[in-house]
Amino acid sequence: MEGILFPKGVVEGREGLKEYQARGGYEALAKALKGSPEEVIQVVSDAGLRGHGGAGFPTGKKWQFTREAPEQPRYLVMNGGEDEPGSRKDRVLLENLPHLVIEGAVLGAFAIGAGKAYLYINAKYETAIKSINDALSEAKAAGYWGEKILGSNYDLDFEIIAAPHNYVAGEDTAVLEVIEGRKPQPRQKPPFPVTVGLFGKPTSVNNVETLANVPRIMLKGADWYRGFGTKDCPGTMLFSLNETEDVNTPGIYELPFGTPMRHLIENCGGGMKDGKKIKAIMPASPSSAYLPADKIDTPLDPNAMRDAGSMLGCGVVHIVREGDSIVDELVRITEFFAAESCAQCPACQMETKSLAMLMKRVQQKQGNQAMLDQFGKLLAFNKGKGFCNLIAMPGPPIESALKLFPADFQALLPNA
Amino acid sequence: MPVSQSCLVCQNIDCKSRGSEQLAAELQQKIAAKGLTDVDVKPYMCFGACQEGPNVVIYPEKNWYAHVKSEDLDDIVAHLAGAPHVQRLDTIDSSLKELIYQLLDTGVF
Ligand SMILES: Cc1cc2nc3c(=O)[nH]c(=O)nc-3n(C[C@H](O)[C@H](O)[C@H](O)COP(=O)(O)O)c2cc1C
Ligand code: SF4
Ligand code: FES
Repeated sequence: MEGILFPKGVVEGREGLKEYQARGGYEALAKALKGSPEEVIQVVSDAGLRGHGGAGFPTGKKWQFTREAPEQPRYLVMNGGEDEPGSRKDRVLLENLPHLVIEGAVLGAFAIGAGKAYLYINAKYETAIKSINDALSEAKAAGYWGEKILGSNYDLDFEIIAAPHNYVAGEDTAVLEVIEGRKPQPRQKPPFPVTVGLFGKPTSVNNVETLANVPRIMLKGADWYRGFGTKDCPGTMLFSLNETEDVNTPGIYELPFGTPMRHLIENCGGGMKDGKKIKAIMPASPSSAYLPADKIDTPLDPNAMRDAGSMLGCGVVHIVREGDSIVDELVRITEFFAAESCAQCPACQMETKSLAMLMKRVQQKQGNQAMLDQFGKLLAFNKGKGFCNLIAMPGPPIESALKLFPADFQALLPNA
Repeated sequence: MPVSQSCLVCQNIDCKSRGSEQLAAELQQKIAAKGLTDVDVKPYMCFGACQEGPNVVIYPEKNWYAHVKSEDLDDIVAHLAGAPHVQRLDTIDSSLKELIYQLLDTGVF
């Protein structure tokens, strides 16, 4: 099926400059430079492109806010921090389609009027960093960035930043802290980066996949883009089907928003290994609610997922097999968040550590009903008390599991 | 003698940086010096009140002392030995207290 990012399906193998040019590469940039930055923002807004980094904020709006912020200079930051367990969609783009990503970043920088763009990439992704570095050299030699891009009056400089590999280092304000030379700790918001961002200046932080969508939107138009996906959520998304032993062909798949989840699991993933049955599905691992197996036909679309009681996030679809213990899963998840909390908000420290400790007790058959009741209380008490959203992330998995699989917990209570 | 009260001293990054490890050790010494064999001192991960730390929670009695400094320890030990509780160190919001006491009541610690 034709995709937006990968026209012939997700292929591994790096696309060089010549190959990219042969399929219209950098033509969108040439086109954009002949018009105004506002026109780029307009096309991206008309297309309905939303951020692919998890929160789904409309990209055109983010660029408009940044462009309209009074302070100068302005910055573009590409967020390739990606350190979510099971996610490697950004890595696949950075490694294989570096020029698509770079063209998207130049277009974004032009749209907001940035003279400098930072490419923030997980330091573990050595191949990706090399791929982008090489592509930057090729693109600069061809006049696609630097001074007077393609003969226009627009100048842009790039810098690659190796991102520390912890989860919170991908949060947009933690990204800004790292670029400024500090520890990856989120800032209190507001102010938001679009007004007070990098070095205190207006900054648009955009996910890798978000930027990679821009060149083809610019080239082929908003209506073409709206031919993919649903009315409320046009376009496609890269889904990561968990890399464990669950499905026959795990991997990264580009699908239009609104595709039934069953298609991803059965057609793309080749169904469950060894004929195992599905117990539950977590559409946005590790921080979304579980859906029961009978919700497998839910469309992969943020609104449909919300209506079903979960969320789409950045599309790391995780499957729990019949017979797997949900409590074992939750021990892993709560320990992950306890370890990844950056420790600056007392509420987050207390909450994430307490949840992990309680879950471990339950798993070790040292729990009781009163402990099970504490999960909801801890989550409710600490709601909104952190600088970033990590504090809320353990909530949906735990609360949905308690609701969907109470027997899994009860079976572990000593007097059961 | 069986332990009748535990002094839980929070030891997460924040309160450690304010000397909570040293504080716990001193408290232990003072308790021993006073001959209180039924009281022990235990580390606790975090009570969610780091800005008001170091914190010492006496459990199961449920007294919470915040902003504890070395100079406060004699009063706390006196309280453990029977004197009234140390009002000036009792500054924590009651809803947080309730949450933490409930958590401790589950027997998790
Ligand atoms: C704990 C945490 C981790 C995050 N990690 C990433 C990440 O690795 N990559 C990313 O693009 N966004 C991440 N985000 C979301 C960013 O804060 C931000 O919303 C995003 O980069 C914006 O780009 P978009 O508008 O293109 O989606 C994270 C958010 C939180 C709270
Ligand atoms: S909520 Fe947690 S992870 Fe986020 S800034 Fe606060 S302590 Fe750090
Ligand atoms: S470490 Fe003392 S309350 Fe958090």
